[in-house]
Amino acid sequence: MLQVYLPIAEISVNLLVILMLGGAVGFLSGMFGVGGGFLLTPFLMFLGIPPAIAVATGANQIVASSVSGALVQWRRGNVDTTMGGVLIVGGLFGSILGVLLVNVLKSYGQADLTIALGYVTFLGTIGSLMLAESVRALRREKAGKPVKGRRPGEHSWVHGLPFKMRFHRSKLYISAIPVLLIGAIVGILVSVLGVGGGFLMVPAMIYILRMPTSVVIGTSLFQIIFITAAVTMLHAVFNQTIDILLAFLLIIGGVLGGQYGARAGQNLRGEQLRALLAIMVLAVAIRLLIGLVVTPDDLYTIAPVETARW
Amino acid sequence: MVGLAHHIRRAVFGAFTVTAVLMGGEAVAQSPGAPEEIPTEQVRSDISTREIAIQSNFTGIEIVIFGAIDYAPIAEPTDAPYDVIVVIRGPTQDIVARRKERIAGIWLNGASKVFHDIPGFYAVLSTRPLRAIAPEETLEELKIGFAALDLGVNDKTLPADELFRQAVIRNKEEHLLFQYLDNAVTFIGRSLFRGEVDMPVNVPIGLYTAEVLLFQDGKLLSRDESTLNVQKVGFERGVYTLAFQHPVVYGLLAVAIALLMGLGAWALFRKD
Repeated sequence: MLQVYLPIAEISVNLLVILMLGGAVGFLSGMFGVGGGFLLTPFLMFLGIPPAIAVATGANQIVASSVSGALVQWRRGNVDTTMGGVLIVGGLFGSILGVLLVNVLKSYGQADLTIALGYVTFLGTIGSLMLAESVRALRREKAGKPVKGRRPGEHSWVHGLPFKMRFHRSKLYISAIPVLLIGAIVGILVSVLGVGGGFLMVPAMIYILRMPTSVVIGTSLFQIIFITAAVTMLHAVFNQTIDILLAFLLIIGGVLGGQYGARAGQNLRGEQLRALLAIMVLAVAIRLLIGLVVTPDDLYTIAPVETARW
Repeated sequence: MVGLAHHIRRAVFGAFTVTAVLMGGEAVAQSPGAPEEIPTEQVRSDISTREIAIQSNFTGIEIVIFGAIDYAPIAEPTDAPYDVIVVIRGPTQDIVARRKERIAGIWLNGASKVFHDIPGFYAVLSTRPLRAIAPEETLEELKIGFAALDLGVNDKTLPADELFRQAVIRNKEEHLLFQYLDNAVTFIGRSLFRGEVDMPVNVPIGLYTAEVLLFQDGKLLSRDESTLNVQKVGFERGVYTLAFQHPVVYGLLAVAIALLMGLGAWALFRKD
């Protein structure tokens, strides 16, 4: 078979498997309009790529997919650069914190566990919420009631905070604090879990910041480019966990898969699709959870000695 | 496998050299003024591949260690057979062994023990099981076998440490990074031998030594050593060097490639 040796992961993988994985995740993200990083990283781990490398290289791959997506949105004028800028500032702090955390955890031998637990928590929560939501929507559809939309913007706790800023494109005048905070949390997620964080950013923008839906996707993608690029840099410098060849192969697969996915998505029904995605997300979470709770064959593991850089 | 056949040919060629040397030796012994003692056996050896290049198609490699015994006297029926032990040692590293403990239903890394200067690869090839070749004390003295590795004292009074020690060996053996290969060395005729060992895909890079020890009757007659260099080459070497020696450049490159590919994908598939 077409085996290819990954220079940083130091394992030999099947070229077609990696291209197909990139393609499949790209297909899914094209179809569902989600980043797909939260599926890519666990699957890389299942293939035997060390978790720290899977996470860092996953972030590198998202740089490419978010650039393509953001450019499409940019051309439609759907990017709030002011909002994006503030999110990026928060995100940079978050990602530095996250990379530092991974580095320290690695020296204690707890990085893999933290990554796995993080995934179980996030995929489990998101998967359950999505499944519940789509089951409810499907029921409503069956009953013939219209699917309820989002309520128009109401004032929330966010509007009482100081350091208010004007965000023209979003037609908002709100405090920078929650924006920075959301950016920081997503930054941590990107650096620790190797995800784009769109699954958290988009709901936060809609429900906490009350941004108009039209600019949500574009602005989210816009800031993801910068955060994943920063995380890639940080992991490259402090952890040496970016496998450039693996990233390259995943991007190729992802680009091709994304095109077909977007086309396939147009011909399929939304709610059922979402239920399908939710089931897949839950399956990945359960698979990771099993790995954590089942008694391992060998209780002992060995690893090279690594010292924290801080 | 073509390479292997080539090495066998080389080894056979080596056997002729041995004969020539032997005859030369006799000539020296007969000439006046030569030392009176009969030259004892000397082992000579080499490795099929002195440089192992790791590149994109690397999936592991089989290496052949071959050698010959110079000055082997004509065998008497009562002579004990020759035995050969080959010890291959890879570059050393510090490793940490961790034991998983169950906390709140989840298995996480608990107690740990650090081991210093553990060879990243260690294989012992022999003509027969080690114990049949030489007594344990001799093996220990010559640092042959896992027991001779600096894994701490093999002290049964410290059961926890002993478990860690065993775990390191078990784990390395599972990944074929530690290998005991009894009967992996075979004699071709009386003075020519060869041994094979598979090096897995995850072999550490660096300088290896292959020590060849010749035994007879439980006693060490002669030893020889050759080296083996495992290196990443070409693209793999470039990537690895850049990542570890110029991480900032490497990071910028990784980001730039991703940005350009994302841009390219957008330009290629844009609909507006």
